[in-house]
Amino acid sequence: MAAQEFNFLLATDSYKITHYKQYPPNISNIYSYFECRRKKGSQFSEVVFFGLQYLLKKYLLGQVVTEEKIQEAKVFYQMHFKQAVFDEESWRKILEKHDGRLPIRIKAIPEGTIIPRGNVLFTVENTDPEFYWLTNYIETMLLQMWYPITVATISREFKKILAKHLKATSGSLEGLDLKLHDFGYRGVSSQESAALGGAAHLVNFCSTDTVAGLLMAQRYYSCPMAGFSIPAAEHSTIISWGRSREKEAFERVLEQFPSGPVSVVSDSYDIFNACKNIWGDKLKERVMERSQDSCLVIRPDSGDPAETLIEVIKILEECFGCSLNVMGYKVLPSYLRIIQGDGIDLSSVDEILQKLADEGWSAENVVFGCGSALLQKLNRDTLNCAFKCSYVESNGKGMDVYKQPVTDPSKGSKRGRLSLRRNSDGFLETIEKGAGKPEEDLLVTVFENGSLVLDYSLEEIRKNARLRDEETKG
Amino acid sequence: LYVPTIVVKKEDNRHLLFALSLQVTHYKQYPPNTSKVYSYFECREKRTDPSKSRKVKYDKTVFYGLQYILNKYLKGKVVTPEKIQEAKEVYREHFQDDVFNEKGWTYILEKYNGHLPIEIKAVPEGSVIPRGNVLFTVESTDPECYWLTNWVETILVQIWYPITVATNSREQKKILAKYLMETAGNLEGLAYKLHDFGYRGVSSQETAGIGASAHLVNFKGTDTVAGIGVIKKYYGTKDPVPGFSVPAAEHSTITAWGKDHEKDAFEHIIKQFPNVPVSIVSDSYDIYNACEKIWGEDLRSLIVARSADAPLVIRPDSGNPLDTVLKVLEILGKKFPPLENSKGYKVLPPYIRVIQGDGVDINTLQEIVEGMKKHRWSIENIAFGSGGALLQKLTRDLLNCSFKCSYVVTNGLGVNVFKDPVADPNKRSKKGRLSLHRTASGNFVTLEEGKGDLGGDQLHTVFQNGKIVKTYTFDEVRDNAQLTESDY
Repeated sequence: MAAQEFNFLLATDSYKITHYKQYPPNISNIYSYFECRRKKGSQFSEVVFFGLQYLLKKYLLGQVVTEEKIQEAKVFYQMHFKQAVFDEESWRKILEKHDGRLPIRIKAIPEGTIIPRGNVLFTVENTDPEFYWLTNYIETMLLQMWYPITVATISREFKKILAKHLKATSGSLEGLDLKLHDFGYRGVSSQESAALGGAAHLVNFCSTDTVAGLLMAQRYYSCPMAGFSIPAAEHSTIISWGRSREKEAFERVLEQFPSGPVSVVSDSYDIFNACKNIWGDKLKERVMERSQDSCLVIRPDSGDPAETLIEVIKILEECFGCSLNVMGYKVLPSYLRIIQGDGIDLSSVDEILQKLADEGWSAENVVFGCGSALLQKLNRDTLNCAFKCSYVESNGKGMDVYKQPVTDPSKGSKRGRLSLRRNSDGFLETIEKGAGKPEEDLLVTVFENGSLVLDYSLEEIRKNARLRDEETKG
Repeated sequence: LYVPTIVVKKEDNRHLLFALSLQVTHYKQYPPNTSKVYSYFECREKRTDPSKSRKVKYDKTVFYGLQYILNKYLKGKVVTPEKIQEAKEVYREHFQDDVFNEKGWTYILEKYNGHLPIEIKAVPEGSVIPRGNVLFTVESTDPECYWLTNWVETILVQIWYPITVATNSREQKKILAKYLMETAGNLEGLAYKLHDFGYRGVSSQETAGIGASAHLVNFKGTDTVAGIGVIKKYYGTKDPVPGFSVPAAEHSTITAWGKDHEKDAFEHIIKQFPNVPVSIVSDSYDIYNACEKIWGEDLRSLIVARSADAPLVIRPDSGNPLDTVLKVLEILGKKFPPLENSKGYKVLPPYIRVIQGDGVDINTLQEIVEGMKKHRWSIENIAFGSGGALLQKLTRDLLNCSFKCSYVVTNGLGVNVFKDPVADPNKRSKKGRLSLHRTASGNFVTLEEGKGDLGGDQLHTVFQNGKIVKTYTFDEVRDNAQLTESDY
């Protein structure tokens, strides 16, 4: 059931209130679609489709129009536009004719699908000719799909890089889905974005501190527990002991969490001193007592990420030794690991792992944490997400429509009714102008007239989005 | 791995779960006999390498958004037995271990009826404060709940967002004010010169509401309806609404007419809205042809008949922003000859204007107004729309927003604490109990280590033990954030 307090009539760009007056007369059908447009030079050639089910369940399902909401919208728009322009009557007709449920059909590719840029991802059209204006009324809300798609895509790009290095330096992909931990909760713009972005990351990994994402996956994607974490220190729990008692602070964390891995941020004053003299000397025995299942994970949090990491691992090698794995790379003892959670993005993670490998270190030694680069440092232009009208029906006649600005050919839109098929080479392609064969169409109806037609679980989505063999090789 | 089904209630009961996972385990990590943890929030100063300096400095920040967080997430009864139970189950699965502080939360439920024993002191909302100063402090008020201060860190640090949107929006206002003054001699219409187009480009509905409200601290034009709801619910204004819009076309309302009927689309739309400004996107096929032939010739008579209160506002939406704006102005200038204003700059007739709403960020805004000035066009001719750059293309790092512990009481003794990482002096934090003061010259300074105890503290208690004790109206916020003459 869509959120009760939420007024659907107020969840759009203001100007869309005025569009019913602007379409050609006798228009009866407006059909629009969503894509991540292709852009020359973009580093992302394919995307992960994720997040539509959340929007459908939270905002579009069931009765979204009530008389109170119509009244609230009417009063509001009168003041906002300083004139009466709101189409009160049409909304009331939705209430009367359809019990306040949206006469809309949405067809989409299955969630979790990996699909090249420039293809249709979902289509929207009105199912009742009276409400042609509704298709683009919901553009604003549906375009926000850019966010979970982009987070899931970037998270998966991280996974490819991590897989490549892990495979090359250890021979296996064990532990891959715990290699990138979501640290982004505090650095996103709101609780809701944290939940959505956090869940999108969990399509590819199961390591997170963004608890909101777990709840989102639970409520909207039927996953009881999508991600895990470990006890960890933060600066306040170390510095609150005072500058001269960093060792006591460290010791406290180890003794409070004797079983299970534990992460301890170690740069409050001097990361190198902490590694060499505290972990590597004063507390060395306490560290060595720990098992592989309860390892100490040391966390640097400042300075140049790659250089700091190399210096830290060298110090730890001196103090604790290391062994060689089957691929001939060095691995710290199993009770000791490192997590780098500062300054991590797609290029720094690749650089760091490359530098480690160059110095003879396996990717098994490090786990990464990522905050804003995972959940906030992205926008609709990252994957050029767009929603455009491609087909209308007026006076009983269908017409393919499009924009094609002379000032920017990359902003041209697709024409006519669209379908998606897998061609004979196995690649996904979009067929325009209604020329596609219905039996080949991979777009499936997910929403119709207020009802959810399909319900994807995170489990299915994870399966659809898993890395292919060739993606683990780099 | 056995993962049991957890039944989650429908209501939005996230309060206990809004902490980062790691914070769940912190109650066990503080020194024994800690009875108070005191933390603060600032937009750190960043001493950067001069060779790397950004074009825009953001020396001062607008403080905004705390009242939303306090009202929505922290006030009143936030702990119930059901919430404790839910949190306990979720964390047990999430950590595969029992680390959740059930005892601590039950104590809060029983002793305080689920209200948070926390005190928050803050600078007034809307205040414009130089970087590197304390903006708010948080401390636990019950010795048993020392761990609560940093539990609420995650949710409070999200204030970086409204602060950053409001600050970036205000910096753009300064640019517009400066060029408007230079090219027109007054600031008329400034409040409508940067319109919020960002609803579709933010990461969620909630972000849209917060961000749009932050922009409205400085301006009055918005299409992000959600922002107005946030202001109404959490701040309040004396006027019925704090933000306005005008009828406008989008591509679908033009292209739905068919490629050969762009003129019919334009004509129909302009006639639908005779008495108010109407904005019509004109680049679906060829912006220059639209301006020259359709607006400039075919429909010219409809345009010149419009009043100054109801101009046609032409909207380009592609191509290099500056080049496109200049070329459009040039074409319109030929078809609708401009007059020279008192400052010697060209102004199109009052029935026609331009809005540039594509690719606008603080840097391109500066480029466009500078380019217009060079070509002798007054800024009266133009308004701007901004979407992604206004509400989404921002991160916590832009203003280095940070929440750090600076003081604890252990074994009855107060200790000033801080971090000071050897590899990054920029990340050093402040020490002890903090206060904010105005100097004789009107500047701000933060006093550390409890030195400001003698009075004059600009931080006011806004939240105490579950109650909001001081509020600001949106009008007060706008007042505090106003530009002063020195700003332009």
